[in-house]
This record gives sequence, C-alpha cells and structure tokens, in this order.
Amino acid sequence: MMTVYLLIAVLIAGLMALARSHAQVRALGYVFYGLQLLFALSIWMFARGSEQLQFFTFDALGMLFFGLLSVISLVAFYQSNVYLAEDPLHPFQTYHISLLLLCASATAVYFSNNLAVTWVFLEATTLATAGLIYHGRSASSLEATWKYVFICSTGILLAYLGVLLLSTVTIHGDLSYAALADVIATGNPLYLKIAFVFILVGYSCKLEVFPLYTVGIDANYAAPTPASAVVSTVLVNAGFVSLLRVYRLFAQTPVYGWVSGVLLLCGVISVLVGAVYLRRTNHYKRFFAYSTTENLGIVLIGLGLGGVAVFAAVFHVMAHSLVKSGIFFNVAQIGRIYGSYRINRIGNYICVNRLGAVSMLLGTVSLLALPPSALFISELMIFKQVIASGRWWLFGVMVVLLCFVMYSLAYRLLRLLYKPVALPEGEHAVNRLVTWSGFVLILLAVVLGIMQPDPLVNFIESIIAW
Amino acid sequence: MLLALIVLYVVSLLYLSIIERFRHYVMILALQGWLLFGVALLRWHASEWYELAFVVTETLIFKALVLPAILYRVIRRTGINRVHTASVAVFNQLLMSMGLLLGSLVMTYYMAADTQFDMVFFGVALYAVLSGMLLIITHKRIFSHLVGFLVIENGVFLFAMAIGVEMPYLINIAILLDILMSVLMLGMVIARIGTRYRHMNVDNLDSLKD
Repeated sequence: MMTVYLLIAVLIAGLMALARSHAQVRALGYVFYGLQLLFALSIWMFARGSEQLQFFTFDALGMLFFGLLSVISLVAFYQSNVYLAEDPLHPFQTYHISLLLLCASATAVYFSNNLAVTWVFLEATTLATAGLIYHGRSASSLEATWKYVFICSTGILLAYLGVLLLSTVTIHGDLSYAALADVIATGNPLYLKIAFVFILVGYSCKLEVFPLYTVGIDANYAAPTPASAVVSTVLVNAGFVSLLRVYRLFAQTPVYGWVSGVLLLCGVISVLVGAVYLRRTNHYKRFFAYSTTENLGIVLIGLGLGGVAVFAAVFHVMAHSLVKSGIFFNVAQIGRIYGSYRINRIGNYICVNRLGAVSMLLGTVSLLALPPSALFISELMIFKQVIASGRWWLFGVMVVLLCFVMYSLAYRLLRLLYKPVALPEGEHAVNRLVTWSGFVLILLAVVLGIMQPDPLVNFIESIIAW
Repeated sequence: MLLALIVLYVVSLLYLSIIERFRHYVMILALQGWLLFGVALLRWHASEWYELAFVVTETLIFKALVLPAILYRVIRRTGINRVHTASVAVFNQLLMSMGLLLGSLVMTYYMAADTQFDMVFFGVALYAVLSGMLLIITHKRIFSHLVGFLVIENGVFLFAMAIGVEMPYLINIAILLDILMSVLMLGMVIARIGTRYRHMNVDNLDSLKD
C-alpha cells in the first residue's frame, strides 16, 4: 500500500508539472487528496500494524497523525484553490506540487520504522516546504526560503550526526527502531547523550521549538496562509512523531533522566519565547506561529515529565493540530478581507464575518486552554504531573509564562473582534464555505475537550505503551 | 598513505580560514572531494567490496565533480568574487581554526579512547564540522555559508567512516539525493538573492523580525 501511495504521489506531482491549466492542476489535486483520504481509511480497516516496503509500518502513532494530515491537507488544498485562483499557472503548479510532496514526505515520516529513513524524509519535507515559502517571490519570501533551507539543512545534518552516533550501538548498522530498542541500553552513555542533543537540535526546526524555532516562524509568515496551516500542523507533527520515536528509545536507557532534563529545559525556553513574542509581534501569521512554539514547548515539558504527561503530550499535539489549522484557515480569510495581516490594521471582525469571528473566538479560547477546549484536558494533565513530580519551580514558571500567553491571546482576540477600523475599499466578500471549513476543525477540537471517546483514549494509550 | 591524505585534509581545512576568493573555496572543496575519494578507496579492505564501491563512486562523482561544478556555476551566475566581508580578521580566523583543531584533538582523546572508533578519522571529522560552523559564523557573505554547510557535510562523511556504519543502498542513495537537492536549492536561492541584492551579505537578509 505504501508503494502505491508514494507512486501515486510522484505520478500526480509529475502530471501537475505537465498540466496546461489551473483546472487540470485542481482536478489532479482533488484526485490525490481524495485518494489520500481513502488510503487513510483503508489502512485503518485492512492494514493496521502491517510492515510496508521494509522501512514503513502502519502503527498507531503514524495512523493517528496521518488521519489528521488527510483531513487538514484536503481543507488546505481547497482553500489554496480559493486564494491562489488568480495566480499565474507556473507558481500555481509549483505551489501545489510542493504541497503534495510535503504531504507525501510527512506521511513517510509518520510511518517510517527506521531512524535513517525518518531522517531522509524529514529532509525531503524541507525541500518541499521551500517551494511553498518561495511562492510569493518577494524579498521577504526569498529571505525566508534561504533561512529555512539553510538552517533546516544544517540542523538536519546535525541530527544525522546523532543518527550516526546511535548507529554505534547497532548490529550491522540496522537503524530500525525495533532493532535499536533491543540494544540501545548497552550504548555508551556519553554518546547517547550527545546523540540525543544533536537529534533534538535537528528536529527542533520542524517542531518549531527552541533552539531552531525561528525558521518555522519565518516559514509560516512567508508561505501562503493555507500552506501555513499545513506547516504549523502537518510538518510540526512530523517533527513530533520523529522525536517521540527517539524518545521511546531513550526511555529505556540509563540516560533517560538526563534526556528528561534537556526536554524540560527546551520546553520551558520555548514557552518563554512564545510568551515574549506573542506580545511583541504585529503580524497575525507570526503571532499564531509563536503560539505553536509555545504549545510545542508545553508538549516537550510533557515528554520531559514522563508518566501520564506523555499521554497528555500526544493528545495536546493532536488537539493543537485541529485548533491551529482551523485558526490559520480563518486567518487566511481575514487576510483576504482586510488585504493585510498587520494586527494594528485589523479589527471589527464581528461585524464583517460573524461566523468567522465566532470561529476565531472559539479557536482562541481553545488555545487559551480554557474549558471546553481539548487543550485544557492535556494541560491539566501536564500540570498534575508537574505537581506529582514535586517540581514546584516548574509549576511556578509555567503559570507565570502562561499568564503572559493568555493575556496576549485575549488582548489580540478582542482587538480583532471589536476594534473599530475602516474596511479597505473593494474588499473580498466573505466565503461561507471557507469559514465553515476552518470552523469545523475547531469544533472537532472542542468536542474532544467535552468528551474523549474510549476508542481514542485506548488508541493513544497504545501509542505510548512501550 | 592514508595518514598523508588525512593530514592534507586537515591542511585544506586550515587553508579555508584564510581564503579570500570564492573560486579558491570551490577548489579546496573539490580537493577535499578527491581526498575523501582517496580515503574511501584506501579503506577498501574495511567492508564488502560492493558497498565500498558505491561509497567510492558516490564520493568521486558527488563531492569531487558535481558539487564543485554547481558552485562554479553559482559564482559565474552571480559574479561574486572576493570574500572581503568577514566579520573577523583573517589572522584571527586562522588562530580560531587552529584552536578548534587543538580542541578537536583533546576532545577526541577524551571521547574516542577505548572505543571502536578510528581516532584519527574521528578527530578530523570533528574538526571539519567545527570548521564549517566557524566559517558560517565568521563570514557575512551567504556563499561562504553554503561552503560552510558543505564543509560540515564532508565532516559528517568522515564521521560515518570513523564509525564504520554500513547503511542499506537505498538509504545511502536517498541521503545523497537529499543533500544534493539541498545544495541545488541553496545554489538557486543564492543566484536569486544575487539578482536582487548587490553584495549578497547576510545584512541584506534581516527584514524578518519582530
């Protein structure tokens, strides 16, 4: 099945490159994203747990995030067609080919059962994302593209050093996670520590957390907004899945305590970065990108704490994907209506697009982790674990930083909804279907906050059982 | 013979810190490609012949021929020539590079003793990675950054040799393609930056901030 999926992705990307009109590109896109959704369903029904092409396994972790990818990328594709309809054919083709290849490489990352294969496809996501970032062909998109490709490639190269160091414990260079799990505990602790730091630094450019978070922020800023939704969720999830697989390995080693400390440190610094820059930035796309840094910082803290907080971390990433993609899809509409993403130029949205305003309200309340948000459940679990582990310093730091985050989010939301501003002349009409597509994703996250179905809980528990 | 190649490689890394023309950067990178090709060839006995044949061919074609050709093309397209905007004086860069060499040797002695690592390879690989980082940090022109990235990549290649890791063909080819595509893409972006900005310094690329 994986062979078929990858072949279809390459084939459709090739056909898109040969397409002579926007309509042909669109038709090919709908075929791919429709098939992708079918593929997700058929994995769920027929191929759970099976190994594919030696390097891929349809395990629970991959299936969860591939399901999210299938839904988010379909909406992103639909919205991209709405927003980029007037683009010339060549950039339109490049954009859609890049989006498709990004989805295909992220899928390969989700299902990869081999550390080196994960690395290969993570680097492939860098190249695909570059096509999305450069879409605007402006000075800022050129700058963002350079920074993204250069820093990600260098970071991923450092991660490769970590992979090589981990390979010292393997037999005949077998870098499958299963083989590594059997032997990693026998590794030299010093090499294991260095390997983990290199891998974390490399993956941080995808996860949008400290230390290489800046490239993710710039990528979100420069890419067209529907693509930002994909970068902030699908790509971030690829980083998370890769890190979680490595984390599972290190949980069985004598250096696990040290690894937890590193994750806590990176998590706290990421939340700090989010708290500071959410207040400073004057651009909605950068604003919500910093919110991703803050949320993934909380996820790292969850991983660092271990125990029930690991469940919370997986749940948090899943809920964050729904909320953040929904918000970005709404932000795309806002940018189209106002002709800008500058925070100080946008307001009175409640009078312009009532449903969109409610959607942003619900999305921001979800990001604030207030009930009935699904993020409330995960953050509550993480805070419980912080207290249970007796780390009161961490509790204090998190509470203070999250207060800043909540203030910034609430302040910007009220400004967006109610600040009186003059609407630009000749603004675009509100597209109801576009608004609904973002709203439904946010609603889904709220439903998950109100009730967590047993099958989903069991599914996540099967992910964290090792 | 192997030791002579490694010593030459170290000298080429030291020379990188005092280069003043971009063409010389490319020449040194091509030289490093040939040296790595020689190193891979001399380590024929270390593994299965077909695996090393792949590594040797890959090194020759990719590092010694294709990459320098891409870099020359970027230089021709952008018309850049002199590396005159380093943020640190050349002499100081040389001193820093020598310091890194010393640090790498000390670290190697501490880390790689009593292990299966080849200490010479390990030390030089570490020095190559640090030299690449130094090049990126101390130079303002973005072409130098690309060269720094490739120096790090060469260091990682040596590191893989120090460890003696044997990955399946498919993964080796995929890794090679990834890096080649990255370099191609970086080269293309540099060419576009060259048409937009006259000096191609990192100072031109600071509009994205909060």
